[in-house]
Amino acid sequence: MKQRDDWHLTEMLDYDHGRADPFAAAVRATRMPMVITDPAQDDNPIVFCNEAFQQLTGYDRDEIIGRNCRFLQGADTDRDEVAKVRAAVEAQTDIAVDLLNYRKDGTTFWNALYLSPVRNDAGEVVFFFASQLDVTERVQAQRIIAEQKVAVEREVAARTGDLKAALEAKTLLLHEVDHRVKNNLTMIGSLLRLQARSIPDPAITARLETMLERVDALATVHRRLYQSDDVTRFDVGAFAENLISDVVGASGRHDIEIDTRIAMIEVPSSKATPLGLILNEIATNAIKHAFSDGRAGTITVRAALDGNDAIIEISDDGKGLPEDDARPDGIGKTLISRLARQVRATVLWSDAAPGACVTLSFPVND
Amino acid sequence: MPTHLQAPLSVLIVEDEALLAMDMEAMVEDAGHRVIGEATSLFDVEDLAGDLRPDLAFVDIQLARGTNGLDVCAFIRKRWTDAIVIFVTANPLKIPTDYAGGHGVIPKPFSRNGLISAMRYIEEGVCDPPPVSPQPASFIAAPAFLARWS
Repeated sequence: MKQRDDWHLTEMLDYDHGRADPFAAAVRATRMPMVITDPAQDDNPIVFCNEAFQQLTGYDRDEIIGRNCRFLQGADTDRDEVAKVRAAVEAQTDIAVDLLNYRKDGTTFWNALYLSPVRNDAGEVVFFFASQLDVTERVQAQRIIAEQKVAVEREVAARTGDLKAALEAKTLLLHEVDHRVKNNLTMIGSLLRLQARSIPDPAITARLETMLERVDALATVHRRLYQSDDVTRFDVGAFAENLISDVVGASGRHDIEIDTRIAMIEVPSSKATPLGLILNEIATNAIKHAFSDGRAGTITVRAALDGNDAIIEISDDGKGLPEDDARPDGIGKTLISRLARQVRATVLWSDAAPGACVTLSFPVND
Repeated sequence: MPTHLQAPLSVLIVEDEALLAMDMEAMVEDAGHRVIGEATSLFDVEDLAGDLRPDLAFVDIQLARGTNGLDVCAFIRKRWTDAIVIFVTANPLKIPTDYAGGHGVIPKPFSRNGLISAMRYIEEGVCDPPPVSPQPASFIAAPAFLARWS
């Protein structure tokens, strides 16, 4: 059959339309490949195909007409998708699927098939109309994107695995170093304590004890830092409370009460040691001097934060400031003044009648 | 309710660092208690004389000869059912949440002040509960231990 006889076939669509029917002309001339099948005939054969369909598939009209559409399928066509088309035909509904189809020369193309039933006035299905679109480029692009996505995901998973392993190694190393630092600090304390015991001169023993308290303060700073979730921040308020309770507890003085009102004051860990040592000097001094005559009393610790300014107050209702020995002297005094300068803190002794009050104020962040 | 112990307490020290063991022994005695034995490993603990009756044991976690404090704790709790076991370790995170039957932990590095405060609190808790001293920061009591008097 020749191309110029096409119009004869389109007449079958609707005999009410004449040869000059613009719709039939459009179907013949459109660049969209189209076929029409007749479900009344055995195996629902193609009864019309346009020029675009012949160009897409590489078959001539006489090789197409009379055959079921499945002749376009091949070895790699997805059977499940084909089954969907068959089900739609049986159910007389429309369907859109992407099928891998084969041309006459054996090459493949991705066919975006749209199939819909054509009904007569009585509502009976008289034809199926199918349009095809070569979407090979789109499907290939999608496949490349999907492959790249898988490759990227694989790469990300591999990198994440490497990083996790590196982090685990670092964490293990940190724990190991932390463990050693703690053991060494414990050992330094033990050595000093053992030495202090063997010295008969009480004046020297007292100095060693003071040294020990400083080492203990360092140890407490380290322990608190590494017990917390964040080793870069240090809560000075909690440390002050901890320190006072340890110092009073170890003194065995049940007649010294502790009154605390502590806000969390988190400073960078670089400030932890100097602040810890300053607080240790203030606290041990207060315990040693305020109640040295055996009187009972209360040590009060206040820690408050106002913006970037932290204030820690350690006060007692003991002997008070006029006492000659009420403030640290010697190395204690030097430690306080030098360490205070390091963290830009001010330390103020004041008479709190009864007793004394030491106020430590410093900026939390520089 | 366990029977109340009497001070001075008989203390067992399980620690593989000789210096620390010596130091703890001195501090335990400063606090008015008696050290009745020292051990550096689980095997040492198993070999302790049968007539020893420790009231309280301080137990390090990493011990000599590849043994560990958790096993020592289990052994002590089985052999001396009323003994109080306190872990003393630089790695408190290694202790399971149920303290493996132990009664608390003193994290290393301990200070003299911290250890003596902890010892006083434990003594009050076992000899005359509830303790009059507040729980010191140097000692973390196991929930089961706290439940004895609360």
